[in-house]
Amino acid sequence: MTQDELFAKIQAQFPKIEKAANPVKDYLTIRLPSKGDLLSVSLWLKNNGFDYLDMLTGTDYLGPVDMKGYIRQQNFNVFLPDGATPEIESAANPAYAYKPVIDLLWSFVSIREKARVIVKLELPRDAASVPSLAGLFKAADWQERETFDLLGVTYEGHPNLTKILTPDFLQGHPLRKDYAHVKDRFDE
Amino acid sequence: MNNATAAPIDNETVGGVQTDQMFINMGPQHPSTHGVLRIGLTVEGEVIVKAIPDIGYLHRGTEKLAEVRNFHHCVVLTDRWDYVSAMPNNLVFCLSAEKLMGLKIPPRADALRVIMCELNRVASHLLFFGTYGIDTGAFTPFLYAFREREMVLDLFEMLCGARLTYNYIRLGGVMIDTTPEWLTRLKEFVEYFKPRLDEYDTLLSFNPIFMARTKNVGCLTAAEAVNWGLSGPNLRASGVDYDVRKHDPYCGYENYAFEVPLGENGSCWDRYFCRVREMRQSIKIIEQALSKLPEGPTMAMGVAKIPKPAPGEAYAHVEASRGELGIYLVSDGGISPFRMHVRAPSFVNLAMLQEKLVGMKVADVIAVLGSIDIVLGEVDR
Repeated sequence: MTQDELFAKIQAQFPKIEKAANPVKDYLTIRLPSKGDLLSVSLWLKNNGFDYLDMLTGTDYLGPVDMKGYIRQQNFNVFLPDGATPEIESAANPAYAYKPVIDLLWSFVSIREKARVIVKLELPRDAASVPSLAGLFKAADWQERETFDLLGVTYEGHPNLTKILTPDFLQGHPLRKDYAHVKDRFDE
Repeated sequence: MNNATAAPIDNETVGGVQTDQMFINMGPQHPSTHGVLRIGLTVEGEVIVKAIPDIGYLHRGTEKLAEVRNFHHCVVLTDRWDYVSAMPNNLVFCLSAEKLMGLKIPPRADALRVIMCELNRVASHLLFFGTYGIDTGAFTPFLYAFREREMVLDLFEMLCGARLTYNYIRLGGVMIDTTPEWLTRLKEFVEYFKPRLDEYDTLLSFNPIFMARTKNVGCLTAAEAVNWGLSGPNLRASGVDYDVRKHDPYCGYENYAFEVPLGENGSCWDRYFCRVREMRQSIKIIEQALSKLPEGPTMAMGVAKIPKPAPGEAYAHVEASRGELGIYLVSDGGISPFRMHVRAPSFVNLAMLQEKLVGMKVADVIAVLGSIDIVLGEVDR
């Protein structure tokens, strides 16, 4: 099944869905009009062969990453010359349109058809909340917890939406672009 | 990191007998968790009633670190996820970055990438073969497995100077071309290794004690395995034919003839035996690649010292030793990746423990955990 045939099939079922303006290269990328469509689209995909949820994640498009989120020490190794360790400062690309949204992404695979469809959904940063897919795909369980932990996206109806990778005392969500490190007992 | 504490203890009546529940911490420092993994087990007698895997002890935030490094520096970060087989890690990052930059890879570099990844798969499966024997009570296979694994690591050391964290596959190709001497050594290893595979089968695979220990333990149906998003030998052990090398070929894998070993009922033994048979296929691929190794450059022309790919998004995935390893890369036109997400196979494979362990005996935890072959560096990233 080619990408166009697959897209036509999806659009026949959900006419409001369109191709994403910023597609993932080489794969069919569709954009959901609203978060209310997520469950119905994933259920349809699951019942039509796309029963393998490969990956889910998100991106914060606020702007270049805040350097306050990194712990940078003076070069304590006296034998290394200055600049021996990578010291790159983040910089904004003036030609790029940053916007305060979180772009979520789900990647469904049909093992039989050897096809992949990537579903995208844009959410405002301050209200990043979508229905959980953990009831449909168990693969979503930990990956949603990871996205919640690192990116601060709330998955409604997730059975156990708790931190998974970062320590309990860590405040904030590290992969948000405005994350700033708060000193804790392991600094100094 | 989830704060896995004891489940509320209630004295239930099971079969008319009053039993107490007990909470056991397995790990984080435990030889058979293969790293720093903690499983909070609530047991009733010998039966597990609740299992909470607790990860994050090794979280280094590589996705965050990548956002202030340039693309060449990021290849170094990738080595540290799955340190047991680092070549596919290098490869998958390079593939996705090359997609963003639109680089064309010379054929010799592609063939060398295939050889290195398959060689690394052999080394990684040998580690699994040895340690899984130890996990289930057989010490001897470990010594044999490490004898051969050392040879592979020596080959890598001879080639690029590192035994585990190679940084050999670079953007646009590979770090350095092979020498004729190295190729001779590789051919010697391949010839030496082929009969060893039969030795492993007599030593462990069809050992009656080992089979009794693993044959009907931790069975997963195909539907369950797909629903949990398992990949690699864990998925194929349940009979699902999904291999990225066949489904979405990269680096010219479509030109090699090899089979994808499948299991039957997804038991621990099936997962084990899939890996053992995969080693034979890897050797087959290496032989084919060696027989038609093209001449030519090993690095593409025009790879920038500090690449600035055009804004865009790319996803690349490879069949790593533990399953489908994917990288989702976003560029905003700057010198660093704007966002890098790792789809780590060990992380996704591990999630099924919380449900599959319930109802098992304590002794089987090790058999199941060992059979899904996780590397904690990749789970926590």
